[in-house]
Amino acid sequence: MVSEKDSGYRKNFSLIVTFIGLVSAIFILSLFLAYKFSKKNIENDFVSAKANVLEESIKPYNDFFLNKLPEISFYNGYLDSTTASKFVDTILIQYPFITKVVFYDTEVKNENYFDDGINLGNFSVGMKNVYQFSSVGRGEKRKIIGQSQVKNNTTLENFNTVTFKLITFVQKLDTTIVPSQEELFSNFTNIQSNRIDYFNIPSFEILKNYKKMVMNKLEDEPVYQQDMLSFELDPNKIKINNTRPLLYQSVKIVPVTYDPIDTSSEYVSGEITLGGPFSDYKLFFISSKSFIKSEIFSYFLPIAALLLFFYGLLMLVGFLIYRNLNINHKMFKLQYDFITNLTHEFKTPVSVIKIAGNNIKSAASLSSKEQQMYGRILDEEADKLNGLMNKLLAFTQIENKAITLNQDEVNMEDFIESTIEAHTLKHPDFNFTYEVTGFKTFITDPVLLGSLFDNLAENAYKYSPVDHKKLHITARLIKDRIVLRFKDGGIGIPSSEINNIFKKFYRIQNRYNQNGSVGLGLAFCKELVNFMNGEISVKSVVDRGTEFKIVLPYNN
Amino acid sequence: MTVEKKYIWLVLLAFFFACNTGNKVAVIPVNDFFKSQDKASYRISPDGKSLSYLKLQDKKQNLFVEDIASGKIVQLTKLQEKNISFHSWVSNDELIYYKEKEGVRFQSDIFIINSEGKDERQLSSNAKARIRVLEDQLIDNKFLLVLSNQRDSTVSDVYRLNVRDGEMQIVAQNPGNITNWMTDSKGKLRMAISSDGVNETFLYRENEAQKFKAIITNNFKTTLFPVAFSENKPNIVYAVSDVNRDKNALIELDCITGKEKSVLFANDTLNVVDAQYSRRKGKMEYVVGETWKKQKHYLDDTAKLFYEKLDKLLPKTEYRVIDRDKNENVFVIRTFTDRNPGSYYLYIAATGKLKKLSDNNSAINEDQMCEMKPISYTSRDGLKINGYLTLPLNTDAKNLPLIVLPHNGPGQRNTWGYNAEVQFFANRGYAVMQINYRGSTGYGKNFYAAGFKQWGGKIQDDIDDGVKWLINQKVANPKKIAIYGSGFGGYIAMSAAIKSPQLYKCAASNSGVLNLFSYLNSIPPFLKSNLQMFYEIVGNPITEADYMSQVSPLFHADKINIPIFITQNIKDPRINTNDALRLVKELKKRNVPVTYFEKEDSHFVSKREESRQKVYSALEQFLDNNLKKK
Repeated sequence: MVSEKDSGYRKNFSLIVTFIGLVSAIFILSLFLAYKFSKKNIENDFVSAKANVLEESIKPYNDFFLNKLPEISFYNGYLDSTTASKFVDTILIQYPFITKVVFYDTEVKNENYFDDGINLGNFSVGMKNVYQFSSVGRGEKRKIIGQSQVKNNTTLENFNTVTFKLITFVQKLDTTIVPSQEELFSNFTNIQSNRIDYFNIPSFEILKNYKKMVMNKLEDEPVYQQDMLSFELDPNKIKINNTRPLLYQSVKIVPVTYDPIDTSSEYVSGEITLGGPFSDYKLFFISSKSFIKSEIFSYFLPIAALLLFFYGLLMLVGFLIYRNLNINHKMFKLQYDFITNLTHEFKTPVSVIKIAGNNIKSAASLSSKEQQMYGRILDEEADKLNGLMNKLLAFTQIENKAITLNQDEVNMEDFIESTIEAHTLKHPDFNFTYEVTGFKTFITDPVLLGSLFDNLAENAYKYSPVDHKKLHITARLIKDRIVLRFKDGGIGIPSSEINNIFKKFYRIQNRYNQNGSVGLGLAFCKELVNFMNGEISVKSVVDRGTEFKIVLPYNN
Repeated sequence: MTVEKKYIWLVLLAFFFACNTGNKVAVIPVNDFFKSQDKASYRISPDGKSLSYLKLQDKKQNLFVEDIASGKIVQLTKLQEKNISFHSWVSNDELIYYKEKEGVRFQSDIFIINSEGKDERQLSSNAKARIRVLEDQLIDNKFLLVLSNQRDSTVSDVYRLNVRDGEMQIVAQNPGNITNWMTDSKGKLRMAISSDGVNETFLYRENEAQKFKAIITNNFKTTLFPVAFSENKPNIVYAVSDVNRDKNALIELDCITGKEKSVLFANDTLNVVDAQYSRRKGKMEYVVGETWKKQKHYLDDTAKLFYEKLDKLLPKTEYRVIDRDKNENVFVIRTFTDRNPGSYYLYIAATGKLKKLSDNNSAINEDQMCEMKPISYTSRDGLKINGYLTLPLNTDAKNLPLIVLPHNGPGQRNTWGYNAEVQFFANRGYAVMQINYRGSTGYGKNFYAAGFKQWGGKIQDDIDDGVKWLINQKVANPKKIAIYGSGFGGYIAMSAAIKSPQLYKCAASNSGVLNLFSYLNSIPPFLKSNLQMFYEIVGNPITEADYMSQVSPLFHADKINIPIFITQNIKDPRINTNDALRLVKELKKRNVPVTYFEKEDSHFVSKREESRQKVYSALEQFLDNNLKKK
């Protein structure tokens, strides 16, 4: 309450300091928490992103297993060496982890017949030809080994295992229920460590026939074609797709038993087992702690930057609020001053009138000289009061755009001369000159223009030293515009104040306006010019003089 | 709104509807197109006085006899199920009928009954064997030639069935490869045709005491089939043949030498598909030549007079004589046109009167059906390709949405006549184009052979050329073309989606062949003898696996980018159901719009109709979405 009385405004520096302190504390705390969070997150990532790397790396294999393998069935057992070689060719190029393919061109017969095959009852599966394809080196992608060599060179174990699986399946087949695709796929495929054997899947109708063939010898001695392809896989040739190169320093494929002893405290490591035919192998991830640290920072920095940004934003908003309060304080002070000035302004004529009134009342008689003097005094002071009130009224009216513009023809020279006359009458020491070039008359509101001239002339007189009370007005027509210049030899306006002089209630503190000034003059002028669709500007040099330039539209 | 205004609106509305109905075609329910009366099996008694037929009422099928003069109807049997496979007059007032039913016990019984419905006797009953009638003409007033597998369940021998006592006497034993038998006018079995699946051999004997002797062997590419034995020339058989010529002709075949003796009718541009022999006159009456439509060419003046009279009664209609009496006075005639599924008529030659017996599909109104017009164009390699174009009712032949409907194969063709699918599409506002692409039968030997191993090749080009031709004729809207087919037609549709996606907006396959390997692999063991023929037509999977994988749609799912519609019957033993599933899966994975349906083939009519309704409604929706919406 005390401070309010002092300045009419509350200023609390401790509040500001508390605000800054609190925001800064929160900022530092959040930075700390963000770092903790980043660290935890990266550590978790190290564990969880392993599955992602596995998934990405094993994708080609899944694609091969789910899409390429069933394609063998499309041929319905009719694959021959040339077609098979073409088929295998694309596979060897597309899937580098396949190193060798053995193609068993097989026949299913209804008799006990094959040397190289398996018989069950009257159902026999035997190979006609065996071909081997492998990727040899870089240039030569495949190599066919003819039938006779392979039979001797390859073990028939794989062939026998899958064939046995097929026969077991046929034997157990329920001919009333169509087996599902998944069931068929699992029974015609054999997945072992580092190899996949695949038999083409015949249609249900043929499977039913197979079943019949086990039990009976059929009349038409059916012969069916089957193809078996055996793929040898090399897990070391799987291309590792390290999706997080900044997290995992090194990823490699190692046997499941791999367990290095030199993983010191300087390193973080992890592993995940490969599935399917690669189940003997795992993906091994290792990163040094400093490597991880840089990843933590790369995660933390954007968060920190974001926090900093918010901190900055908060500070900026705080500063802006402070500045606004400051300005409001100044405005408040101006209005306060205005009321003081206005009261003062009204006080002088009122007290003069009161004295004159008292004198007249108390005087027994008034000489005609006295009467004339009092009359003049009363008249003058009433005029003064009237002028003040008119000015205040006109200003508010103009500001609220409550009056309309009159359009009358004004003769510029006559107009200026009458202004000069009025002012030199009041101030005989006022050196008032003018010149008009380019036009004689123009259309405007003479009352508003008169106010404008009066105010500027009044100012020029007021803010000039006693021996330099002069004003020179030039009026020119330049390109459809009237340019009026009011040049005086007054005290000038400091450049720091030049932006404020047109503001309401603003007064430059100096000795020339100790009393009798409300600080409305120039603000009123600006409102007038704006109202007349013109512009007002000012140039000034301290102690040398001021020049106001008014540009008005020229309507003739 | 004032009352006057209301009335104005009403009047305007009425005008609007009146204008609309002028052009609009009523949408006919799917199943109406496909309905078909069960075979009525009309029979005329030898004296031409009575008409017998089978009638289905509440799932019970019974035998009826109608007196033609008086119209009196007698129901002969009172059966609870539908199982009469055939019936026949054995005298002027006696009939036999044959019941057959598959089930726990193979029931196949022959009964004799008189036309009053009395004196019913069972002639034979055999729980294992089936019987088929070979010649429905009575020999010596008491014998009927039938085929039966009672000796060996896998082969059919020929027997003489005594219709009086049911006794069966073997006439000829089938060594296992005989596919066809033929008797002379006296009912003596004198000719047999054997097949090894690829080649056909004609066997002949002069009388039943002799042994059959092979006289001529033909490849499957050649057509040769006997029509009748000549009455007055010994050892001569009338036959339709394209031996040593491109188009079928009617010839006399010398049965001793196996050589062509003379030509009765031949034309370089006309393909003979049938010929009619009159036993009463002992003469060939006419041959049927087929271009876009079947036409009779008379070889006998009395026959010409007779049939021209009928032609006048049945204008622009194709008809077939189903049965006649001994004096060739009373006839049962089956008719059809492109816009009419057809009817059975009774025709009495003496009076020239025609009486309708029944409609094949009474749900179809001829006026709502669309005309099937012949078209022809030249393929890119200069071959003349024929086909048919059916335009929707009440439309200009301009800028229409088109459905290309390639027929099934191999060795088939589109013919002029009522086609339920075509009419269904036309009723829904589509123009329908059918193409007899190379490899279709009926255009000569060379045209047939030109289609061999051209699946996915020149056959596809023929279809595309047809579509382009129709676009150039401004009939088809090039942005609204779909292709749909079943079997090999479905194969062509899928291949089109792969080969010419710029031409077709969408493709639909109804139980289509998706993989040529599977198609060949699914040929059942008892047809293994035909395998070589299929290898020649479709491709040899052992030596031409490369070509076959090149042209099988299943291998090229990655090239399909237009909307696809696929149906299959998962119980169909002739397909590998996994093929369609894989294709659908692959397309779905690549976000190609695909509609997949599993349909059922049921023995029950209602279930079959329901399934058909579902598939065709979905197909209609699919075509609407792709061709009619912007």
